[in-house]
Amino acid sequence: MRNLSARERRILTAFLFISLLGPQALYAQEKFRRSPPFPQPLRLLKLPEIESVKLSNGLKVALVRREGLPLLTMQLIVLSGESSSPEGKSGVATITARMFPKGAENLTSSKVDEIIEYIGGKVTTAAYGDYSVFTLTFLEEYLEVALDMLSRMILRPSFLRREIDAEKRNIFFEIREREKDPSYLGKKHLLQLLFEGHPYAKVAFREDSLKNIYPRDILQFFRRYYRPENCILLFQGDLNLNTAVKKTSHYLNLWKGREKEITYLKPPEACKKKRVAFVDLPGAKEATVFLGNVIYTPSRKEYFPLFVLNQVLGGTPNSRLFLNLRESKEYAYFAFSEVELFRLCSVFIIRARVRPKFIFLSVEECLKEIEKILREEISSFEIEQAKSYLLGNFPLNIENLDDFSRYLSKILAFDIGSEFWTRYYENIMSVSTEKVFEIVQNYPFATPVIVVVGDKENIMDYLSDFEEIEIYDSKGIFQYLISKGVEE
Amino acid sequence: MEYIFSTRKKLSPIRKCWLILLPFLLNPALHSQGDNFPFHVSQLTLKNGLHVIISEDDSFPLVSVVIAYNVGSADEKMGKTGLAYLLENLMFQGSKHVARMQHVALINKIGGRLNALTSEEKTVYYQTVPSNQLPLVLWLESDRMNFLEITESKVERTKDSLLEEIKHRKEIEPYFESLSEFDRLARPGFSYSHPVIGTENDIRNLTLKDVKDFYSTYYAPNNAVLCIAGNVNRSKVEELVRRYFGTLAEGKSPPPRKNPEELKKVSTTQVFEEVLAPTPGFHLGYRLPSPLSNDFYPLQIIEYILLRGRSSRLHKRLMARERLAYSYSGGIEKWKHFSLLKVSVLANNEVMTEMCRKAVYSEVNRIRTTRIPDKELTKAKNMLKADYVSRYSTTLGRALFLVDSYLQKGSLSHLATELSMFLGVTPGDIIRVAHRYLSPDNRILLTVRIK
Repeated sequence: MRNLSARERRILTAFLFISLLGPQALYAQEKFRRSPPFPQPLRLLKLPEIESVKLSNGLKVALVRREGLPLLTMQLIVLSGESSSPEGKSGVATITARMFPKGAENLTSSKVDEIIEYIGGKVTTAAYGDYSVFTLTFLEEYLEVALDMLSRMILRPSFLRREIDAEKRNIFFEIREREKDPSYLGKKHLLQLLFEGHPYAKVAFREDSLKNIYPRDILQFFRRYYRPENCILLFQGDLNLNTAVKKTSHYLNLWKGREKEITYLKPPEACKKKRVAFVDLPGAKEATVFLGNVIYTPSRKEYFPLFVLNQVLGGTPNSRLFLNLRESKEYAYFAFSEVELFRLCSVFIIRARVRPKFIFLSVEECLKEIEKILREEISSFEIEQAKSYLLGNFPLNIENLDDFSRYLSKILAFDIGSEFWTRYYENIMSVSTEKVFEIVQNYPFATPVIVVVGDKENIMDYLSDFEEIEIYDSKGIFQYLISKGVEE
Repeated sequence: MEYIFSTRKKLSPIRKCWLILLPFLLNPALHSQGDNFPFHVSQLTLKNGLHVIISEDDSFPLVSVVIAYNVGSADEKMGKTGLAYLLENLMFQGSKHVARMQHVALINKIGGRLNALTSEEKTVYYQTVPSNQLPLVLWLESDRMNFLEITESKVERTKDSLLEEIKHRKEIEPYFESLSEFDRLARPGFSYSHPVIGTENDIRNLTLKDVKDFYSTYYAPNNAVLCIAGNVNRSKVEELVRRYFGTLAEGKSPPPRKNPEELKKVSTTQVFEEVLAPTPGFHLGYRLPSPLSNDFYPLQIIEYILLRGRSSRLHKRLMARERLAYSYSGGIEKWKHFSLLKVSVLANNEVMTEMCRKAVYSEVNRIRTTRIPDKELTKAKNMLKADYVSRYSTTLGRALFLVDSYLQKGSLSHLATELSMFLGVTPGDIIRVAHRYLSPDNRILLTVRIK
């Protein structure tokens, strides 16, 4: 046997050494395990086009193709919502939306349930500030059955008193139940304060207003707003627009349109003065703090810098508010921000669950974070991180069938499909540090309305640092005012 | 310069054969499913035993990664309950190259979502992220599959949080205790009848060694299924999977799970007093065969006829027509070797509870004795079909669907025909299986009274 060269001996020794150590030594050689890998190039989002056509009665029929599943979704979008409910009767839009699939002449509510389930269907209804939606997802072979049922509900509605009373009872108990959640109660109260005197305040209606609602109110609302010229019928699935239009015309040819009633509603104004409110929620262990204001943007495009800003400030646990209030100061369990869209404006909201003794300091920190954004440009690193989050997260928010329908109905109701559907990625990608800084100066971030929710018993002592605070009971009814510790 | 595979050059028959065979020779384990599949699926098994399922779908620029370990609470020994769920929690506490909670932070940062679940037979970790971030997820999952850092302090902290969770669940779930008792009565053997979360005493006594042994026994590539579904390229995925998982060592074969002996019919009626329950009621169950059995198809249709939707027989009887119940819930719970039809009903008082019980018995009896009308059967099948296809309407839904199907049946071949098996159920099948399984001598009843 020949002698091994020095090089061969080194290789053999290394080989034996690695073999003796086993897999651990191999892993040690795998440098790629030491740090997170870089992402691959971002794949672009290709969304199907929103096709539409207007029928002679004024009804807009829209179609978004969605392939791969034997399911169709049909949505009736009514371009009127809770803000159109009559004065003193907030809740009419919600009850009308819920009553819509509760039957028609010669079609009882249980018969409707049978039909819907026979076609493998599921129904949801909702009334928002600006619009109402009826959504039905079903097996694609039953399109005609679904349209036939829809036409009967539209053309020969029946709003039975006992069904309305049952629905009012359901809504009453749902509100009662939801108001036990400080996040719901606080946001509702914040919207009531922000929209005071504006029809949008009706979105945050109290259960008390239900008792003023009668069957004739529902019928009147239905007759006034559930009209072809005020509606969009949207289909999603493996269908073409031609078929959708033909079948819709066949089943809804008796739905007569009329001149569109145009009501000009002014956008609500932002709050310009300091306002702090406390809402009592007996039994709440912690305090929940809200800060928010109305934001009016002259162009829909300006929302995109706002979304990026929101992301930097409070979109996730990696955003400034969370890192400051929870990770650094340990005042809060969570701290987030959001932008809620309405047709005429949007609302910017910060929400934090905090320890009662840190209520005042938490509010101060939120205001400091706002000031910082107004004063200093956000670094381009943070902006790019926020954009990358939004681009990655957007498809996740619309992938699910229900989310997809919900998002589409919103952008169709607001008529913002071109910016929020086809150009969403482009619009986010084009946001720059300078643009965010420029936009931020135009909005009333510096004077948010502040709402604190908690149990009065454990919290009152911690509210004395506020200059002036309005005290509300758990139903949101004003009780009294405290000025720097003095009750009025 | 002439390329060997230039299309202009006429190839000899032998070369043609090589071209056809080349992809298979390069990927000996990769194979695609047939045309009858509801969507595209391919599978491969690495040398270390890791089974990989890939499903491409370019609807959205997303990818879901699901990794399921074939271990759950049914693998826990007596006195060591809670181990499987404790380990699920520990998997987020850091591994050799990933700091504590960094897994969650990294996924959140890129706009993704993640979660995990533990059941009797599996522990599943899942995340959905932008599809360009697939390497990150594979890096994270491979690190905690092989290099999880289990320390005394982490184990103690997790034990405390589990004990806190049990306490919390007892406080907010008023029927927690009676449901646990019902599971003990209805499910066969210790493995399946103890709570997945574990019992307080056992959790307190778990040691660092117990946890380390459990991890090294069950968390290995040969005891896992990895599914990647979304806007990805199959060959690129394979390359990445081999990079991150290919060199991980195969573990020893885990001890076989103690499966329930042959499922015996059981009939029992008991009373349980709940301390926190606001209203009385009952839990009712019937032991059913394995989901692998052909009898399972008609039984699943019976579930829809009885319980699913506002036009189901129990909804009409209990909630609409006679308004007997305050609420009801139920369905078929399934495991590999048996399943269970469960119905829970709450009523305003004990008299109403008794009326509800009689109503449910009579509806179950009607299924056994009267032929189901064709229209009602079609309705049940349509509801099932819509639910079935909705399960794979998202990338995550699809990945979970594939992993569940694989773990349940050991392959995916049944997926080509599964839906048509449900849709082929006849009224005769329904009466036959109802007679066999929904009989009074196979009925477990636990009446819940308010203490």
